[in-house]
Amino acid sequence: MRLSISTRYAMCSLRRHLRRTILAVLGIGLGSAVCLFMIAFVRGEGRMMLKAAAESGAGHLRVVPAQWPKTRENDLRLEDWETIRDVTRGTEGVTVVTPHARTEGLLAFGTRVAGVEIVGVDPDTEQETNRLVRNIPEGHYLLAGAPGTTVIGRALAERLDVEIDDLLMVTVASASGEMSSAMLRIVGMAETGSEELDSVICHVNLEDVETLTGRTGAADLTAMVDNPRRLEHFVRDLSERLSDDYAVVTWEEIMPELASGVKVDETWTRLTVAIVMIVVFLGIMSAQLAAVLERRREFAVLSAVGMRGGRLIRVMLAEGLILGLFGSVLGLMFGLPAAYYVATQGIDFTEMYGGADMAVSNVLFDPVFKGDFGWWLIPLAFELALTATILSSLYPAWFAMRTDPAAALRVEQ
Amino acid sequence: MTNETLVEAKDITKVYDTGKIEVHALTGVSLTVCQGDLLAIVGPSGSGKTTFLNLVGALDVATGGQLTVLGQDISAMSRRRRADLRLHALGFVFQAYNLVPVLTARENVEFVLELQGVGNERAWRAMEILDQLGLSEFADRRPNEMSGGQQQRVAVARAVASKPQLVLADEPTANLDGENAETLLTMMRRLNHEQDITFIFSTHDPRVVAHARRVVTLVDGRVAKDETKTPAPLSGTLAELKEK
Repeated sequence: MRLSISTRYAMCSLRRHLRRTILAVLGIGLGSAVCLFMIAFVRGEGRMMLKAAAESGAGHLRVVPAQWPKTRENDLRLEDWETIRDVTRGTEGVTVVTPHARTEGLLAFGTRVAGVEIVGVDPDTEQETNRLVRNIPEGHYLLAGAPGTTVIGRALAERLDVEIDDLLMVTVASASGEMSSAMLRIVGMAETGSEELDSVICHVNLEDVETLTGRTGAADLTAMVDNPRRLEHFVRDLSERLSDDYAVVTWEEIMPELASGVKVDETWTRLTVAIVMIVVFLGIMSAQLAAVLERRREFAVLSAVGMRGGRLIRVMLAEGLILGLFGSVLGLMFGLPAAYYVATQGIDFTEMYGGADMAVSNVLFDPVFKGDFGWWLIPLAFELALTATILSSLYPAWFAMRTDPAAALRVEQ
Repeated sequence: MTNETLVEAKDITKVYDTGKIEVHALTGVSLTVCQGDLLAIVGPSGSGKTTFLNLVGALDVATGGQLTVLGQDISAMSRRRRADLRLHALGFVFQAYNLVPVLTARENVEFVLELQGVGNERAWRAMEILDQLGLSEFADRRPNEMSGGQQQRVAVARAVASKPQLVLADEPTANLDGENAETLLTMMRRLNHEQDITFIFSTHDPRVVAHARRVVTLVDGRVAKDETKTPAPLSGTLAELKEK
């Protein structure tokens, strides 16, 4: 394919100050690489936070009584929850559904007492959705059809000074307003790695919460889906299948503090990316403007031989495009390995947090944060670099177009 | 050769406003240039020669008077239409050659043809013109790889590539030695003679005046003298000249 002379002119013009062109491409490449790395990291971080929140018992979404989003009361129950559970399970893309009922209560052993949130669960499905109770180093997790048992966190067990097979006295306020008590045998101790979380875990069979509170059924159905990026789709789909007595909420509504934390991170990243790209933009514009000023006489001659302003703008934009293309490739060369490293090895924040457990709002985070990595980085690199270079070429191009040929030739003579 | 009027200047003035003072570059210049003319505009520095050329070349607009080039009123034309007029009907040759330094001789000529919208044949047309001017062996050289005389011949090739009716040459021989200047001027006369291209030169150079058929003298922005003369004898065809 034979290039047009205009294109050759644009390419050759970039070669006349090779060092300046290389520095410009380097600037674009490094800027794009920094942006790619940051976007990939924050995207991965957001995905990890979502995963951590979902797997810490919140699920990707929940079916709750219609009043719950406003009142957020644990006393509310789902009517006919088993049917709703089956409907939720039958929704395409939903991988697991498990019921919960929660109540505040006191655990007592001898003279020791601790206040906790007692969570009634379905033992068959709970461990699939909740990684906090997957690690049971002592004893075992709850068994279906075995009421009167409990699994508590190790830190809570140490606080109450209890062991496996000890009997804990549980006291809660029942639906009638009276105190209701029962003895629960400890069958397992959960260990999450977080002291904070291990001191609040107290799981019992769903029917034990029903018995203690006098309220039947589940308070929510927690569901996991196969593609968390399409949560809105699942919410819409599931809502259409359920009556107005139920509401479908996402993890962001269940844990608004965490969701806003993710959003703040994303906003900061966008801001940083914008600042980096503005710096790149100004750098390229300055270099392009210098190139235009150096070539005023040349543009005057081209104008004299009949080149229209529009064609001159196209030449300048072609120069920007070429810079952008090389900058994109360089950005990928720098950015992809960095993004790949952070996606596979991650960044370990353990020391930054002073070795403390990373648990926030009852969510357990892995201290090694990993970025996202995929083919999407390639078009993103081109988008970032080309947008910056083409936009930054507009003003120099306009400046070139406004060159008065007679004045430029007169001044140079 | 026809006597069609290409340029008609009626009482044109050009004033440059520098902010502090006004410079009157042209004061009531009236002049007619016909198809086939070989006109030299002479005069001391600052007499308005280049200004007149810029106005005729539609690079600038007169402050007063009326200037018609190829039947079109320059002052009434938009920037875009003036660019079109330059592209399709006018050619320029500058004192300092002003070739695009990053393009080869062929590409410099081809560029004008590309701007005109000439398709695939522009490459051989550019080569044909370069060959006519004895430059085919320099076609792939950049300006900095050629002598001044060769560069100026490429500039002439670029100027005539678009088959203009009128070529404006501003001090075309100022940077050339005697032999190169003579060869260039003879080539331009041949183009005038064989292809009926009208030439207007702005010059101080008596060698250019010797080849002109008409000499207009400007003094202080006015026409002081307008005389017709017999040019020096024309020797050799383009084919013979290109061997030089």
